[in-house]
Amino acid sequence: MASSSSSGLTFKLHPLVIVNISDHYTRVKSQLNLPPSLTSTSSAATSNNNNNNSNGGENNQQKPPRVYGCVIGVQRGRTVEIFNSFELIYDPSTRSLDRSFLEKKQELYKKVFPHFYVLGWYSTGSNAQESDMHFHKALMDINESPLYVLLNPAINPAQKDLPVTIYESELHVIDGVPQLIFVRSSYTIETVEAERISVDHVAHLKPSGGSAATQLAAQLTGIHSAIKMLNSRIRVVHQYLVGMQKGDIPCESSLLRQVSSLLRRLPAIESEKFQDDLLMEYKDTLLITYLAMFTNCSSTMNELVDKFNTAYDRHSRRGGRTAFI
Amino acid sequence: MDSAIAQKTWELENNILTVETPDPSSDSIFYYDEAAQAKFQQEKPWANDPHYFKRVKISALALLKMVVHARSGGTIEVMGLMQGKTDGDAIIVMDAFALPVEGTETRVNAQADAYEYMVDYSQTNKQAGRLENVVGWYHSHPGYGCWLSGIDVSTQMLNQQFQEPFLAVVIDPTRTVSAGKVEIGAFRTYPEGYKPPDDPISEYQTIPLNKIEDFGVHCKQYYALDITYFKSSLDCHLLDLLWNKYWVNTLSSSPLLGNGDYVAGQISDLAEKLEQAENQLAHSRIGPLGPPRKKLQEESQLAKITRDSAKITLEQVHGLMSQVIKDILFNSVRQSSRSQNDQSGPEPMIET
Repeated sequence: MASSSSSGLTFKLHPLVIVNISDHYTRVKSQLNLPPSLTSTSSAATSNNNNNNSNGGENNQQKPPRVYGCVIGVQRGRTVEIFNSFELIYDPSTRSLDRSFLEKKQELYKKVFPHFYVLGWYSTGSNAQESDMHFHKALMDINESPLYVLLNPAINPAQKDLPVTIYESELHVIDGVPQLIFVRSSYTIETVEAERISVDHVAHLKPSGGSAATQLAAQLTGIHSAIKMLNSRIRVVHQYLVGMQKGDIPCESSLLRQVSSLLRRLPAIESEKFQDDLLMEYKDTLLITYLAMFTNCSSTMNELVDKFNTAYDRHSRRGGRTAFI
Repeated sequence: MDSAIAQKTWELENNILTVETPDPSSDSIFYYDEAAQAKFQQEKPWANDPHYFKRVKISALALLKMVVHARSGGTIEVMGLMQGKTDGDAIIVMDAFALPVEGTETRVNAQADAYEYMVDYSQTNKQAGRLENVVGWYHSHPGYGCWLSGIDVSTQMLNQQFQEPFLAVVIDPTRTVSAGKVEIGAFRTYPEGYKPPDDPISEYQTIPLNKIEDFGVHCKQYYALDITYFKSSLDCHLLDLLWNKYWVNTLSSSPLLGNGDYVAGQISDLAEKLEQAENQLAHSRIGPLGPPRKKLQEESQLAKITRDSAKITLEQVHGLMSQVIKDILFNSVRQSSRSQNDQSGPEPMIET
C-alpha cells in the first residue's frame, strides 16, 4: 500500500502539528487509563499510577485509542506547508464523521488564521489501514486531494527517525478496478525562528536569564551540538566512500554523483563582496562593543566623581568633614 | 560562575546526556479530574490570600502555540486564552488558543467581542475531549518586554474579580528571537488597595522610553509567578527525534539578519535615554546643594543604561559568532592557497 508518491508535491511539516497530535493522544489516553479515585497525595499517586498502569496495561492489551483530527495549512504551487491542526469527532464503529463539528471548528480557525485551509487529516497508529480510506474519502469533498498524516505513538528508544508519515491518495488500477490507495510521501520539517527557539527551550530546558557567562555557554552549546551532528553525518558519508574505495561496498554512481555535487558546493560563497559584507558586520559589532565599553566606563567614572564629591564636599553644611585639598 | 562554566565544559567534553527516561506515569498531569477541580472552585482558597498562586506550569504545546501566535502578529499585539486547571498553589496551563481580536488601546472593549468566540471554542473543545476550563489569558508585547501595562492591569483585576482563578501571561516574540531564549512572564494582580508585604526584586529588563512611564506607575500592582514547563513522555521522545531533523535550522539561523531592525530601534532608544540622563546630570552640576536623592536616581539610570547596552552588545556578539563559525566551516576550504591574513579576526570581547 505504500509505494512512493508521484504527485511531485513537496511537503513541509511544522513541529507544532507534531506536538499537537502527541498532546491529543496523551490526553485521550490518560483520561481512559487513570481511574477517578486519584485523590491521594502525589507520592502515593505515583505509586498508584504505577500499579494502575500495570493493571491498565493488562486491560489495555487492546489497542490504545486512535485519535483523529484535521490538519490545516497553505498550499503554494507545489509546496504544501502544514502549520496547525485540530481535533475531530469520529466514530470508528459507525464510521460517521461529525460534520457540524468539523464545520464549526473550521469557521473558528478561519477567524484567527484566515489564510489557512483544510489540507487533510491525521490519526495515530502504526500503519495505515483499510478503514482509514473511508475517512479519507469523507474528507474529499472539502479538499479534493487530502493528506493523511500518521503518527506512531509507540515509544521506541532505538528509533532514529520521526515516527510520522504522510500519505497521499492516488488512483491506481488494481485488477482492472480503479481504486484509491495510500502512497507514502516524503516531507521536511520547516520551522520559523520563534518556533525553533521554543521547541529548543522545551526540549533541552535551556537556562533562562542568568549571567552573561551562562548565556554564552547556552549559545555555544547549541551551536556545538549542531556541529556535532554535522560532523557525525559527514563521518558516515566518509566511511561509506572509503568502503566503496576499498571495494567492500558495490559502487553506486548516483550516490557518488550526489556526494560530488555536495562537495562542489563548498566553499559556499567566495565572492569579494561577501567578504566585505562580513567584515563590515564584524566592524559594526566591534563598534557596538566599543560603545558599550565606553558607556560602562563613563558610568563608572560618574559614580567615582559622585563618591568623591560626597566624601570631600566643601559645600556641605553638615560640617565635620574637612576638605583635604 | 566559574564552577558553572567548568561544569558545562565537562559535560560537553564527556557528552553527558541527561537521560530522562520517559515515564508514562509522569503523564498523570494530563488527567483532568473534574470532581477535584469543582471542589477546588468551591473552596476558593485564593479569596483570602492575594499571594496564593505562586507557580505556573506550562505545557510544551501551550508554549509553542502562544509563541507562534505572538510571532505571527509581527509588531501588532495579539491575544488569546489559555486552558488548564489548578493544583494547589500552582496553575497548570495545558493548552492555548488565539482570539480573533487585534490589540489596540481599547482592548477592554474587545474582550466582549471575543466572548462569543471563546464560548464557541470551549464548547467544541469539550465535545472533542478537552475538558479543561479557561484559566487565563495571554497577549504579546512585541519588542517592549514582559510586563503589564495600565490597561492590562485593569483588565486582569476585572478578571480576577469575576473569573477566578485567572492568570495573565505576556510574551515578547521579538525579544525571544533576538535573544535566542523565550521571553515570557506570568502575572497576577493584587486586589485594589492591597500593599504587598515585601518587594520582590524581579529580573531586570529594559523598557523602551515611551513605555517606561506606564511600566513605572503600575509595576507595584502585580507580582510575577515562577514558570516551569512540562511535556509528556511522547512529547519528549518526539522532540528528541525532531532534533535529528532541525539541527540544520539551528546552524543556519542568522540572528544578525533577522534582528537588524529591532537592534537599531534598541540603540536609538538607548541614545534617547542617555540624553535624558545627561540632562539630569547637568542639572545636578549647577546646583551642588541638590538633594542626594536625585543623585541616586541618576546613578541608577546610568547604570541601567550600561546594563542595556551590555545586553544589546551581547546579542550582537552572539549573532556575529555564529556567522563567523559558519564562515569558517563552509568557506575556508581553499584557505591554504589564499594568504593567511584574514584567517581569524581578533576574538570578540565578552562582557562579564
